[in-house]
Amino acid sequence: MSYVKQANALAEETVKIEKPESQLKIMWDALKKNKAALFGLIVIFILVFVALFGDLIAPYNATETNMADAKQGMSAEHWFGTDVHGRDIFSRILSGTKYSLLIGIAAVAFSLIIGTVLGSVAGYFGGKIDAVIMRIMDMMLAIPSILLAITLMAAFGQGLDKAIIAIGVVSIPEFARIVRSSIMSAKENDYVAAAKVLGNSNARIIFRHILPNVVSSIVVRATLGISTAILDIAALGFLGLGVKPPTPEWGTMLGDAKSYILSLPHMIIFPGIVISLAVLAFNLFGDGLRDALDPKSRS
Amino acid sequence: MKKVLCGVVAAMMAVSLMAGCGGSNDSSNKNDSSSQNALSSKNDSSSSSSEKVTSLIYGSGADPRGLDTALVDDNESAKATMQIYECLLKYKDDSTEVEPCLAESWDISEDGLTYTFKLRQGVKFHDGTDFNAEAVKFNVDRQTVNKTDDMPYADFVFGTVSECKVIDDYTVAIVLKQKNTAFLANMAMCFGAPIVSPTACKENGGSLMKNPVGTGPYKFVSWSKDDRVVLEKFEDYWGEKGKCDQIIIKTIPDASAKINALTTGEVDIIDGIDTTMVEQLNADTNVTVDLTDGMNINYMAYNTTRLDKETRVALSQSVNVDELVNSLYDGYASKATTILPTFLPGYSEDVAQVAYDADAAKKTLADKGVTEVKVITYSNDRPYNTATGKTLAEAVIGYFDKVGVKADVSTFDWTTYKDKIIAGDYDICFYGWNGDNGDPDNFLNLLSDDDPSMNVARFNDDKFNEYITTGIATAAGDERNAIYAEAEQYVADEAAWLPISHQQNITACRTNIKGFKYHPTATVYLAKVEKE
Repeated sequence: MSYVKQANALAEETVKIEKPESQLKIMWDALKKNKAALFGLIVIFILVFVALFGDLIAPYNATETNMADAKQGMSAEHWFGTDVHGRDIFSRILSGTKYSLLIGIAAVAFSLIIGTVLGSVAGYFGGKIDAVIMRIMDMMLAIPSILLAITLMAAFGQGLDKAIIAIGVVSIPEFARIVRSSIMSAKENDYVAAAKVLGNSNARIIFRHILPNVVSSIVVRATLGISTAILDIAALGFLGLGVKPPTPEWGTMLGDAKSYILSLPHMIIFPGIVISLAVLAFNLFGDGLRDALDPKSRS
Repeated sequence: MKKVLCGVVAAMMAVSLMAGCGGSNDSSNKNDSSSQNALSSKNDSSSSSSEKVTSLIYGSGADPRGLDTALVDDNESAKATMQIYECLLKYKDDSTEVEPCLAESWDISEDGLTYTFKLRQGVKFHDGTDFNAEAVKFNVDRQTVNKTDDMPYADFVFGTVSECKVIDDYTVAIVLKQKNTAFLANMAMCFGAPIVSPTACKENGGSLMKNPVGTGPYKFVSWSKDDRVVLEKFEDYWGEKGKCDQIIIKTIPDASAKINALTTGEVDIIDGIDTTMVEQLNADTNVTVDLTDGMNINYMAYNTTRLDKETRVALSQSVNVDELVNSLYDGYASKATTILPTFLPGYSEDVAQVAYDADAAKKTLADKGVTEVKVITYSNDRPYNTATGKTLAEAVIGYFDKVGVKADVSTFDWTTYKDKIIAGDYDICFYGWNGDNGDPDNFLNLLSDDDPSMNVARFNDDKFNEYITTGIATAAGDERNAIYAEAEQYVADEAAWLPISHQQNITACRTNIKGFKYHPTATVYLAKVEKE
C-alpha cells in the first residue's frame, strides 16, 4: 500500500495524470460482482439493525413469562409460536440477535487484540520470544476449541462476559499465527529497514509501518472468526453453559427446545434457522472479502 | 483364545437377540436359532432347545452406577438389581404394603424393639450358596458393624439396628436401639435391604458392583458400560420363575432416541417419558402408555439460613403454582398441596400451603427491600420433574420478576449441582424426592436431617424435629397420621419449601408386553412380565 502512496505522490508532483482508484473502491467493485458476498453483507446489515432495535420491533417482551400461553404453535398472534414459558419465540429471536452479535464481535475483538499483539511481537522479534509465544499458542491449538471453551465456562460459571472471554481466549492462537506470518514476511521489506534507520522505536515500526500493510488478512480472518464465534456461543448455550436464563440467546433457546424436538418442533426450528443464517452470512461475506482483497484472485 | 471366542459368541448372541425382537418374520429366524444354540451350548441348564428364547429389552435413561445395592442410591441401578436380588420382605405390586419374601413370617416383640424373622428354606443364591440366617446376619452386619463410608443407604435402612442375632439356621432376630415404625417397610427397600451372597461378597473384596449375586428370579450375565446389562432366567429360583428367558436393560440417555427405540421395536419398555410425548405415543397402535401415581415430591427450597420467614412466605405467594404445574407438566403431574403424596399414610387434605397472592407478595418484598435472589438449579430432568430443573426454575423466576425480584440463576449438571447444594451458596434451590419405602417419615424427615445434601432448605427447627422423633416411634395408625399432618401444616406455615408437584410416572411398552407395572417406589420388578 505504501508503494502505491509513494508512487501517487511522485506522479502528482511530476505530471497531472488521472488519479488511480482507491484501494477501497477496487475492493468494493470486486465485492459487488460477488453475489454471495453481497447477500452476506445484506444479511449482516439486517442483523445489525435487529441487534440495535430488536427490542423495539419485537411484538412481545422477550423475557417475561406467561405460563398460560405456553407451548403454542405458529399463529397470527405468535408468528413462530411460544416456548414452554409462554414467551413469544419471534420476539426472543429478535431480542437475542444482539447477544449473538455482541458475543461474536466482542469475542473476536478480544482475541484479535491479544492475538495481534502476541503475533506481532513473535513475528517481529523472532528467536526465543517467538519460540515461547508460539509454543504456548500451539498448546492451546492442541485442545479442540469448543472443549477448551467448555472447560473455561465450567471454571468461570455462566454469564455474558464470561462467554465472551471463553470464546475469545480459544481463538487467540489463530490470530497470533496469521499476524506472525504476515509480519515475518513484511519485515523484510525495505521500508522497514528505512524506518529502522530513521530511529523509530520497535513499537512504532510494528504498529505504524508493518501492521497497516498486513491488515487485510487480519480483517478477513476476523470476519470469518465472527461466524465461528457465533457458532461457539450457540454451542455453549446448547450445552447449557452460555448465558443465564432468561436471556434469549439463540443457542440456549435451541438447547431448551431439544427435549421437545418431536412434540414442539417450531421451538427448535426457528432459532436453528437464524443461527445458520447468521453464520452463513459472515462466512459468505468473509470469503468475498478475501477474494476482493487478494490481488491474485482479483484478476 | 477361548476367552476371545466366548466374547465373540456372547456379542453375536446379544446382537442377534436384538435383531430377533424387531420383528418375528423370516429374516430374523436365522438369528434366533443361532442365538439359541449359543445359549444352550453355553448353559446346559437352559430349557429344551426347540423353544424360542424370549428376551425382554428395557430402555433406561442412564447407565447403572453399580450393581451392589449397598453401594448405590440411583433408580437406574435398581432396575437391574431388583431382578437379581431379593429382600426379606417385598412390597405388594402396586403399593408399599409389605408381604413375605425371603422371610416367611415375622414377629415384633412387645417393646417394639426386636424383630424376629422366620426365613424361607431351600433358597439358593445364584452361585449355589445356601440362603440362611448366617447370610442375613452377614448382610445386616455388613451395613452396621462393618459399615464403610461408601454405603449411602446403610444408615437409612439399618441406622436404628443395634444387633443381628442368629437364633437357628432359619430364624434371625434384629434388635433395634429405638422404636422405628418404618423398619418393616425398610426391609423391602431396593437399596440397602437386598440380601447378597456372602460367598460372592467375600470373594470380591466386599463389593458386588460388577458381579452381583443374589437369590432373585434373574441372574447376572454381563454388563457393558454405557450400553447394556444382560440378565438370564435363574432356573433354580424358589418361587414362580421369570416369564422371559432373558432381560436386557439397555442404556439410552437421549430422551428422543429412547422414544424412537420403543416405536421401532428396538426396546420393549421405556420409562421416564416426557409429558409432551405422551400424545404422540398414544397415537402409535403398537405402544401402550401407562400412567401411575408417583410417590414423589417436586419442590423449591429456600435456604432458611439466608432468607427469613416473611421473605419466604412472600416469595411463595408470588408463584402461581396451579398455573405453573398445569402448563409445564400438561396435566401429568398434580399440584402438590402437601409434601406427602396423597396415597401415603399421614396425608391430610386439610393442610394449606401459602396461597397465591402476587399483590401481597409485591408489597412485602418491596417493604423488605428484597430485589435479588440467588437461585441454583439442575440442568437435566428427574423422575419427579420431567420438565428439567432449568425449565422449572425459569418458570418460577418469571413469577418473581412480576413482583419485582430479579433472580440470578445458575444451572449445573446433576453431579456438580449436588456439590453446589452442599457448598450452600444459594437463596433458593430446586430439588425433589422419590419415596423409598412408603412411610411418611421417609419424606418429612428430610426437613430435620443434619445433612445439607438431604435437607437442602437447611431447616433446623426444634418443634419440627420433635414431630419427627415422636412420629417415627409411634405405632402406625391414626395417632401417628395426625402427628404428620400437624408437622406438614407447621412446615407449610414456616414456608421452608414451596411444594410444587407430584409427578405421575409415565411408562410405555409394546402391545405384546403383558404384566408390566411400574412400582410406586420408582423401580421395576420384571419377573412377571411376559412377551408374546
